[in-house]
Amino acid sequence: MPAYEFPGGIYPPERKARSNQSPLQAAPLPSQVTLPLKQHAGNPATPCVVVGENVNVGSLIAQRNGMISAHLHASISGTVTHVDDTAITIEADGLDRWETLPPLDWRTAAPAALLERLESSGLAGLGGAGFPTHIKAKVAEHNVIDTLVINAAECEPYITADDLTLRHYAADVLEGAQLIARLCGAQTIVIGIEDNKPEAISALTQALSQMQHPATIALKVIETRYPSGGERQLIKKVLNRDVPSGGLPADVGTLCHNPGTLLAAFHAVRDGKPLVERIVTLTGDAISRPGNVWVRLGTPVASLLKGAGLDPHQLHQVIVGGPMMGTPLTTLDTPVTKTTNCLIAATLAELPPAPVESPCIRCGACELVCPAQLLPQQLHWYARAESDSTLETLNLFDCIECGACSFVCPSFIPLVEDYRSAKQRIRLKQIESAKAEHAKHRFEFRQARIAREDAEKKARRQARLAHTQKSAPSSAGDDAAPEADLRSLRIAQTAAKAAVKKAEKVLARAAEQAPKQRFEDLETQLATAQENLKAAEARLAEARANATQKDSTI
Amino acid sequence: MSMMHASQVGAAPSTAHLMRWVIVATLPGIAAMTYYFGLGVISNVLLAGLLAVGAEALIMTLRQRPVRPALQDSSALLTGVLLGISLPPASPWWLIAVGVLAAVVVAKQLYGGLGHNPFNPAMVGYALLLVSFPTYMTLWAPPQPLSIETLFSPTLWAQIIGMLPPTALDALSGATPLDTFKHKGEAVLASEFWASQPLPEGTLSAWRNVALAWLAGGLALIAKRIISWHIPVAMLSSMTLLAALFYASDPSHFASPLFHLLTGATLFGAFFIATDPVSAATSQRGKLIYGVGIGVLVIIIRTLGGYPDAVAFAVLLMNVCVPLLDLYTVPRPNSHYNAAAQSKPSKPL
Repeated sequence: MPAYEFPGGIYPPERKARSNQSPLQAAPLPSQVTLPLKQHAGNPATPCVVVGENVNVGSLIAQRNGMISAHLHASISGTVTHVDDTAITIEADGLDRWETLPPLDWRTAAPAALLERLESSGLAGLGGAGFPTHIKAKVAEHNVIDTLVINAAECEPYITADDLTLRHYAADVLEGAQLIARLCGAQTIVIGIEDNKPEAISALTQALSQMQHPATIALKVIETRYPSGGERQLIKKVLNRDVPSGGLPADVGTLCHNPGTLLAAFHAVRDGKPLVERIVTLTGDAISRPGNVWVRLGTPVASLLKGAGLDPHQLHQVIVGGPMMGTPLTTLDTPVTKTTNCLIAATLAELPPAPVESPCIRCGACELVCPAQLLPQQLHWYARAESDSTLETLNLFDCIECGACSFVCPSFIPLVEDYRSAKQRIRLKQIESAKAEHAKHRFEFRQARIAREDAEKKARRQARLAHTQKSAPSSAGDDAAPEADLRSLRIAQTAAKAAVKKAEKVLARAAEQAPKQRFEDLETQLATAQENLKAAEARLAEARANATQKDSTI
Repeated sequence: MSMMHASQVGAAPSTAHLMRWVIVATLPGIAAMTYYFGLGVISNVLLAGLLAVGAEALIMTLRQRPVRPALQDSSALLTGVLLGISLPPASPWWLIAVGVLAAVVVAKQLYGGLGHNPFNPAMVGYALLLVSFPTYMTLWAPPQPLSIETLFSPTLWAQIIGMLPPTALDALSGATPLDTFKHKGEAVLASEFWASQPLPEGTLSAWRNVALAWLAGGLALIAKRIISWHIPVAMLSSMTLLAALFYASDPSHFASPLFHLLTGATLFGAFFIATDPVSAATSQRGKLIYGVGIGVLVIIIRTLGGYPDAVAFAVLLMNVCVPLLDLYTVPRPNSHYNAAAQSKPSKPL
């Protein structure tokens, strides 16, 4: 047992027994799925199918767009019936024909092939933020990673999806972890799990004793306390490392993955299965058959809950995610996405709405439970007063929105909502001022594209020329110049490569820090760097063609 | 938006519960005071409580705000109770009314109501009365254990309606131990002062027992996590330390730390007044500084200043410092420490 502690934390009623008693099952195949184009952090995917097209399970239906984005695959076989800017709808043919990629062995396959597989399988974090997995695996290009943390804490009440994943697929999850550890260079794997999941813990222990593992794998059972599943909190608890403010786990040599993601990664590699289904916890007092089910992405929430015995008269609200950080649904027509880990069909008695808010008396209960060591009561005061500079002094952006403060507030103040809207307001302000900058960057992109096209055209012409004049002698040119040109062009190409890498790093970091945001400006800057690189490569190719032509003429 | 609330799952109290718990915790102290000082204590508390609730209802109506939630949170009642406890047992109704109006209307509601008052309302009321009506505010009769005679003292009703004749006032008033010690005269040594038996029999033990009753109520509040330990511990330890320094430097002129702790409003103030969350400092470090400040001010005013007791003034003075304390005691999260030292070297591009 680790002796390290993260500050604060609360002990909400767990209510996990409702869904962790029944075995994992497969939900019935849906007759229709709606697959949103944005189920992950970053840009929405771009559809690559048309209405009327027949697809199999695993057929690519939308391609990732920009660096932070993920592919999307059909989750049932059938006919595409609708495509728009936000989603693709597929009508099932009931045949469930699969289309898989060739199997790979993670121990022997080249890292590039593994990364490519993660990317082409449309993998995104299944924990909640939905960060594209291949981008996260590439973090080793910029940071030294020594430890991979498997975040199996699952500290939110109600949710048992990771618990059941580990009970049934402990060995596969560990293989997936080793696969990711290999990609990012981590020598150690640490599993952080709360002590309220004894069956998952014994499954893991058994799997560990039976398997061959090149990396050191440690199982750390931690006390059940919310929010121990927060990335920073878990890293503190199992490794005693403090992720710096505004930083990422990678800054302390760590990478965090959820068991579901690792399982999906392993299946994508071993079986060639793209991400088309996931395990979802169905729970709440308004359904009669709670449990965990394998669900095809795009399945409507309504049919899932109906299958679990939903009593519509009892139903008060459906929450996606946990009761602390989840969001209530406005309509049950919503589909299950890559980040849907839990659906709580709650009765009014179970999760009653908060009583009317009363004034803050600064009792400090919130401060005692804050895992980020903030002063929630002060943040509340200044958030309502819109004093943005004070909010930044009070480290508003260190807030992880775990809701522990709202949970204990005796005045029923929706503190987290205050912080979210304050963050949103501050971000909008920054976006306002970034707009001018973005216009400039778009202009630069256009210039770069024109330069690239120009350079490529010239390179092609030069190549043609070299081809046609191979036999015929050419007019004498300047002899010393090409040598010097080649060297400076090579330098320019290397610089352009570095610029692309840097832009990728900046974008990846920004997207991982704030996965819910959009990063058009950064994507534009990356695209500009890529155009510049292509132009540099074209110029280099042209100069090389020129040089060979000279050589042949001498 | 978070869905679960501790109060709904029975894990934590609401604001109204917090207020009521503090009121409940005053009961041992009120009982002890009633035992030694008579029914005037209870009449003070009841009258002040009722007037406070009435004043709150009135001003919420005038401010066109919902009256019922304001009354249900019991904050006005608590202010009234705390002010009632602070007043001498022979206080007439109009005196109490003036204090309550200053506390609830001026100090609390005119600043925006619950949660917005920069000063401790009960202490604003108390300080106003102390400065404006010093005669009435020092009307502490010598304590005597409760008996049938004192229980139904004929003066009780006269006290309440404020009709005590001036002669009765003189007969009633007796100085508190702090007061007597304060005015012992420069030439008198502490040893001589105590040797002359300046206080009626049993006075010191009565004050000590009342203080211990406040301590019991205060510890209950800490145990129930209604208040945090920071302010009382900081205040009492700084008082003890400073009083000990004075006492050690010249025991013939200064009172012992124990005397400071067990007489006057020290323990009541430490657990029930200084801990008012609204007007106290916010962060834990801020609370410690705030408590130390109150303790230091109490000893300085008692020893070097013009007032025998000083808890009200010390609390109000520290209330002034709260915005500054809040500004300079923002905790620095772990994630801001050693960030550079801990992070692994970044690979070059």
